[in-house]
Amino acid sequence: MTKKRLYLELENCIGCRSCLAACTQCGGHEERNRNYVYDVNPLVNRQTMPLMCLHCVNPACARSCPAQAIQIHETGAVLSALVEKCIGCQNCTIACPYGIPKFDTEQNLMYKCDLCIDRTKDGIPPMCASVCPSNTLQWLTDEEIENKKQQFNLDNGKWVTSLPYLEGETNVKVNLPGILQGVTKLF
Amino acid sequence: MQAKAAVNEKPVHSINNAFASKFAKSMFLAICGLFILTFIGTRMFTHIDLNLYGYMVGTIVFLGGFFYRFIAWGERPPTKIIIKKGIKLLFRKSTPKTSVEHLATYRFIWNRGIYRWTQHVLIGWGCILACCVTFPLVFGWMYFTMDDNGMYNIILFGMQILTVPADGIIANLSYNALNITAVMVIAGVCMVLYRRFKNMQARAEQKFMYDFLPLVMLILVSVTGLLLTFLNMFMHGHGQPAMSLIHQWTVIITLIYLPFGKLAHIPFRPLSVFAKNYREYYGEQSMKKCKVCETEFVSTEQSKDVVEVLGVNDIHFKTEEGYHLAELCLPCRRKYRIAQFSGFPTHEVKVKEANQNAKG
Ligand code: HEM
Ligand code: SF4
Ligand code: SF4
Ligand code: SF4
Repeated sequence: MTKKRLYLELENCIGCRSCLAACTQCGGHEERNRNYVYDVNPLVNRQTMPLMCLHCVNPACARSCPAQAIQIHETGAVLSALVEKCIGCQNCTIACPYGIPKFDTEQNLMYKCDLCIDRTKDGIPPMCASVCPSNTLQWLTDEEIENKKQQFNLDNGKWVTSLPYLEGETNVKVNLPGILQGVTKLF
Repeated sequence: MQAKAAVNEKPVHSINNAFASKFAKSMFLAICGLFILTFIGTRMFTHIDLNLYGYMVGTIVFLGGFFYRFIAWGERPPTKIIIKKGIKLLFRKSTPKTSVEHLATYRFIWNRGIYRWTQHVLIGWGCILACCVTFPLVFGWMYFTMDDNGMYNIILFGMQILTVPADGIIANLSYNALNITAVMVIAGVCMVLYRRFKNMQARAEQKFMYDFLPLVMLILVSVTGLLLTFLNMFMHGHGQPAMSLIHQWTVIITLIYLPFGKLAHIPFRPLSVFAKNYREYYGEQSMKKCKVCETEFVSTEQSKDVVEVLGVNDIHFKTEEGYHLAELCLPCRRKYRIAQFSGFPTHEVKVKEANQNAKG
């Protein structure tokens, strides 16, 4: 089984919020979604973009957790808090550079995207990528991601899958939205 | 080159030294404490039950593992901060209430689901009560005597604290205390096992050593404990010595394993009270305003602590605007990220984030 990654092509997003609905249905998510969809310029146009945990290689959330409640799975996925360990300090929500972890005060428990670990550990795409109708969220091999990189004009600075555009190295790969940069994308 | 390496090694070396001495110190103090308590409890070692010798050795090995694991853990920067400030804030007015809710009635687990709460009350309280009976017996802090007149005495630290009729309710409860707790634990563990086979999240994340071994051990301890009673009552004690050894063995393994598996949460959960106090106290002191929208979103102290902890880990998150990302409230931080992707300053548009809950 070749390792696949979550790959985001932000500009494709049509704001349908299927990924939010799908996330609630993933095993053990208890009907609560762990991802976000944002209007880029809400008063002017309808462009939207999804935002989800990028599964940092050196995750700030886990580094700031006094309880070691945030474990890193062997696939690289940064898991949701262990239910018996999280002491409810909320350090992780303050530490994450993208504001991803959510906190439930009643349950005194943090929860976040776990890359649908019950699926992805067996190579099945995560819920959000499975349902995305616009190919914004994809589940690809490193080779396929490399091909994408070739396709979208290498060396023109319009590729943000990695540093220096993100805050650190991440397991999820992200592509720069061509639309907002004024370039037409050839599918 | 070699000189440089030596200089680099120095701090590591000194931390190791501190670690070893801290460990030795805790271990020494704990064993002295146990020794003194045993000395008092057994009235200068005149009432020792040598059947319980294995437990004594087990407890001491357990203490070794326990200090090893928890001192290493307490050295982590975020843990150190919570422990230090938690101890300082221990005497807040709300501490007793928080402690009861977090450590005794588990209200937050109730909010996760009544099933999960029930299983935990059965296991947690079953184990706590069992320990309250077993440890004092093992170390001779507590024992029972029977008078000729049919009265039953419970003796704690050499003092007679309770005398009850030998056929009364209290006496019966105390003969059967360990049987009752065993049944509680078995029922609770069965509930957990059922959930672990059904729940998708649990199934995805669980590992044998981490999630199942403690459950198996708890079952073994309880079942062998109950079998002891059964052999005594219905088999005239036949096979009792062997069963007693098996039971002792299961308890010792559970104890030794405790600091390294899932059960490690038991000694360490009181930190949730520290965390609550920390958030409440510093929240009353002063709140941090988001650098973009000026909403107060966390205490100034916690924001500072998180920035510092990340710094220790060499994570800096400085933005072009000159602030640390941890100084933005969560919605602004997410919008700030969208802004970095799109090149349009989404975080500066004063519109509330729309529909993030997948509700239509
Ligand atoms: C100091 C008080 C304690 C606190 C605050 C505490 C807290 C917790 C929490 C929050 C969970 C996760 C429950 C869930 O979300 O479903 C848990 C699980 C568990 N606790 Fe405790 N606990 C305590 C004492 C104990 C004790 C004394 C035992 C006895 C051995 C115990 C055994 C367990 C077990 C076996 C689980 C795992 C359940 C599973 O596998 O789903 N706990 N505990
Ligand atoms: S994006 Fe945030 S929540 Fe996800 S791994 Fe990184 S720091 Fe943790
Ligand atoms: S809220 Fe829970 S998971 Fe987050 S840092 Fe605190 S203890 Fe860790
Ligand atoms: S990977 Fe799974 S948990 Fe993460 S946002 Fe997508 S659906 Fe939700």
